[in-house]
Amino acid sequence: MSAQTYKKFESAGSSDLPDKMTIYQDCMNTFNESPVSAKRCRLLISRLLRLLSSGETFPQTEATALFFSISKLFQHQNDSLRQVVYLAIKELSGISEDVLMATSSIMKDVQNGSDIVKPNAIRALTYVLDESTAFSAERLLKNAVVSKNQSVSSAALCTAYNLLPISEVTIKRFSNEAQEAIMEVKTAPMSARSEFVSKAPHITQYHALGLVYELKRNDKMALMKLIQQCSDGFVLKNQFARMELMKIVNDLIHRDTQLFAQFQQLFNVWLQDRSSLVSLETAKTITTFAIAHPRLVSPDLFATTVNVLRKLMNEFNCGAKLGAVKVVNKMAMVSPEKVAVCNPELESLLSMSNKELATFAITTLLKTSNEDNISNLIGRITEFVHKVSDDFKITVIEAIRTLSLKFPKEWKVIIKFLIDVLKNSEGAAKFKSSVVEAIIDIVAFVPQSKELALESLCDFIEDCEYNEVLVRVLHLLGKEGPSTSNPSLYVRHIFNRVVLENSIIRSAAVIALSKFALTKNDPTLKDSIVSLLNRISNDTDDEVRDRATISLKLLGSEHSFAKDLVQSKYYYDLNSLESKLTTYISTNEDSFKTPFDVSQIRKFSEDEMKAIELKHKQDRVFKSTDNDESGNRDAIAPATVSTNKRKDNDTYKGADLHEHEQDLLESKYADELSGMEEFKEFGKLINSSKVTPLTESEAEFVVRAVKHVFKDNIVLQFNITNTLVDVALDNVSVVCSAEDPENSRLEELFTLPIERLAPAGESACYVAFKKSTDTVMKGFLNTLHFTTRELNPDTHEPFEDDEGFQDEYEIDSLFLNAGDYIKSSFVGNFEATFDQLPNEEVAVYNIQEDLSLQEVIDKLVLNTSCLPLSNTQFAPTDSSSHVLKLFGKSALMGTKVALVIKMIKSSKGVALKAQCRTEDATLCADIVNNLM
Amino acid sequence: MSSLYCIEAVLILDQKGNRVYANYFAPPHVQDGEESLAGSLKRQREFELEFARRTAKSEGDLQMFSGSLVRFKRFTDVVVVVVGHASANEVLVDVVFEGIAGALELLLDSGGVDMRVVQDKFDLVCLLVDEAVDNGIVLETDPATIAARVTRPPTTDPQVSLDLDKGLLGAWGFAKSKLQERLQQGR
Repeated sequence: MSAQTYKKFESAGSSDLPDKMTIYQDCMNTFNESPVSAKRCRLLISRLLRLLSSGETFPQTEATALFFSISKLFQHQNDSLRQVVYLAIKELSGISEDVLMATSSIMKDVQNGSDIVKPNAIRALTYVLDESTAFSAERLLKNAVVSKNQSVSSAALCTAYNLLPISEVTIKRFSNEAQEAIMEVKTAPMSARSEFVSKAPHITQYHALGLVYELKRNDKMALMKLIQQCSDGFVLKNQFARMELMKIVNDLIHRDTQLFAQFQQLFNVWLQDRSSLVSLETAKTITTFAIAHPRLVSPDLFATTVNVLRKLMNEFNCGAKLGAVKVVNKMAMVSPEKVAVCNPELESLLSMSNKELATFAITTLLKTSNEDNISNLIGRITEFVHKVSDDFKITVIEAIRTLSLKFPKEWKVIIKFLIDVLKNSEGAAKFKSSVVEAIIDIVAFVPQSKELALESLCDFIEDCEYNEVLVRVLHLLGKEGPSTSNPSLYVRHIFNRVVLENSIIRSAAVIALSKFALTKNDPTLKDSIVSLLNRISNDTDDEVRDRATISLKLLGSEHSFAKDLVQSKYYYDLNSLESKLTTYISTNEDSFKTPFDVSQIRKFSEDEMKAIELKHKQDRVFKSTDNDESGNRDAIAPATVSTNKRKDNDTYKGADLHEHEQDLLESKYADELSGMEEFKEFGKLINSSKVTPLTESEAEFVVRAVKHVFKDNIVLQFNITNTLVDVALDNVSVVCSAEDPENSRLEELFTLPIERLAPAGESACYVAFKKSTDTVMKGFLNTLHFTTRELNPDTHEPFEDDEGFQDEYEIDSLFLNAGDYIKSSFVGNFEATFDQLPNEEVAVYNIQEDLSLQEVIDKLVLNTSCLPLSNTQFAPTDSSSHVLKLFGKSALMGTKVALVIKMIKSSKGVALKAQCRTEDATLCADIVNNLM
Repeated sequence: MSSLYCIEAVLILDQKGNRVYANYFAPPHVQDGEESLAGSLKRQREFELEFARRTAKSEGDLQMFSGSLVRFKRFTDVVVVVVGHASANEVLVDVVFEGIAGALELLLDSGGVDMRVVQDKFDLVCLLVDEAVDNGIVLETDPATIAARVTRPPTTDPQVSLDLDKGLLGAWGFAKSKLQERLQQGR
């Protein structure tokens, strides 16, 4: 302890704490005094507790000494001293040794202590017992559980609950007593101070229920019986106990969905419970279940639930409000139309002083809104957003951003709102950049908005103080500006930046400017840009000068690829680029004499890139609905929460791990195939399908297929897993026979079998075909051929004399359909594109199976491998018809493919009318005839 | 999935986020991951300071903060905070808070809760929270019941009665027995 801290305590007032060593010495002296002064000891322990609470701690030897001297105070029979002694024991038990020695004194108190200290003594047992001694407390705890005194019984139940992880066997012995405690009505003893009268009795029921649940959690029948007993009449008098029972119900119905119907009655009663704690928990249970299993919840019950939620939102208690609005928000992600009736309540929450509530209300409203009221709503949000802190603003902006994908037609209102917020609202860089990102999103996916957005951004950069935001905007201007009707406008704005700003921004501006030189519809611009760049090449900063010089050089060059370097036409697949570069660096065979071969990396055109991004976003909207399950830590909540441990699922920060894996998978296939001699002559891999399972996942041999399309060839890859324990498979091959061999346009070239498939091993077998026309649709009947070899369990080698046994194994057939020749793609204006395409084919389907619209949509999207546009990938829940819009490009020719599929669900099944338009006549008919 | 452990911490902080009282809970006898705040003082301090920074303008609210459900209210120069698990029922956290805040007002009855009172009657505050929440389990939420379970500090020390009527011999006998006691204790 330094002299400085020592002095600090000397000078300060009486409520400041003396330093650690002084307290330690005082405690050691006073506790060992005889006789003990109860008053002084309590004061010292109070100081000790303050010291520990402030985060100080003692070395183990000193803590043990303290613990030892404190346990001496057990000799003194004074309740008010004893109570703080228990507190000190609890705090010190974590840092001192030999805590067991206090056990006998504590147990004595449990038996003979006064009503006041008995519960404290019981609860202190949690800290002094361990695996080997827990059994010794069995009788004491059992007696305490059946006590008529509520505090004693609760203390014993909590201690038992705390001790469960180390002594479940002991605790199980009094599960009967615990069960009785649920039913029994206990009261707190009337204390001397009678002015305190308990208003919420019977909390023991809650603790008993919690304990019994832990003991019987795997016994479904016992839990059912428990619920039966407790839901009868007024058995559970305590609101917490009813909440706990509802949680048990929640657990059960998620384990066995069929049980839901049995609790219908209970739900109806408890939704109307007089305690909002219970009705909120019930509503939560029903809605989480309804999100997972919408078919099992009757519309009546659902409507009642929504009504209860509305009532809760009107309550005075902010807990009920927040709870309810969170539930509604979660519902709105999956089926916004069902909770739209809550809109008036949500709107009244907007004016609450609790910004958390208001923000939740806004994000919910944005989800439930439709095209008619959206502009009105945005007006209200504008008022709101200027008044709250940055975190809430960002949450709202993120919600608006998703909205722009949902209502592309409303882009004008949304852009205006964003621009207004950007210009008129105070905020830090993070907020500003979230607004700019949202605008960039809209520009990318709603091309009509481009000019308005770009012009407003030009105004914005005139006085923006954040480098990273400015650079982002300049990049956007450079990318989108040249293709607008009046590019010279932007040139002026960008050049202003070069004159006025720092070197970071100047360099970004130079790159943006040089892109304008390639503008097609204004050739005069090139000369002006060149003269501007010439001026910049005298800049004081190296980077700016370098960039200007290289741009000039590229612009002056005759080579065609020079232009590509200025304004690139494609993007590299960054994930595979990264992994390739890492392998390049780590292998380093000839100290980097061979240059890195960039041509291996997949390239995406602008449209493909957008398609990928849009797909990720769509997945995100869908995924975000189920990661709120059971309220895990990264729940969807306004971003007040952004400290270290939270992952922001709400915001788009780039593809997550799962998506990376999918992207990488495709380049992995390309690598694998191009690495095999046999496939060299086939040329470049054009398209790979998704993985199709051909067996049950529990089968002895699990087979999954991937279809690869080359220019003139087809390769079927079968990934085979051997799940047998001590049998190896030799010479594994797949025999594919076409469904109708007569008019097959495919010629089988060769099969690459797997030589040996060890137990639990996975390997791939390839079958290659040559195709005579561009696109071939075909079904294949597949059989697995192999020789089984029994393995010697010791050596894991086949027995010498085992000849093996030839066998066959039938697997599902595989279809090569039109979707395998299509890559999903994005187009800004679907309707216009659709109308322009020359070839049209129409087909009508009638699906007899009992499929929901959503299942049909999912299947269509999968089969055509097209990208669903205009937010049509979600089936409406309130209507039986839907129109799905799909767009893609032929993988072979790069021609456009657009599909409009109208569907109606009736009692007989689902009727489809598919209208397909393509640039290329060959694909058109194939697609519509192969939809399902 | 359903657990009685639903309260993560009870805190009393000053206006800058410094601790006046802090108690973080974690289920005992469970090998805890790095998730919980209870295990790391550094994380607790970060949590407290961040909390004070973000709620500086607010008088009292229930809101999500750092992945937890937080209910707080400002008293004269301190703020009382109950931190609930994110999956806890919102009303439950609210009720627990009302219980603790109500009991504080009942017990620290010297005209409102402020820093000085909390520091001076720290033993009462500790006992009170201990009676309301046990290792994160809600033990009692009724302010009156909580307050009734908390003992006041003893006002006077029971004096060692030296009965002088018995005379000098009695006094000598008493002194001797005390001396023996000390000697037996080894000092």
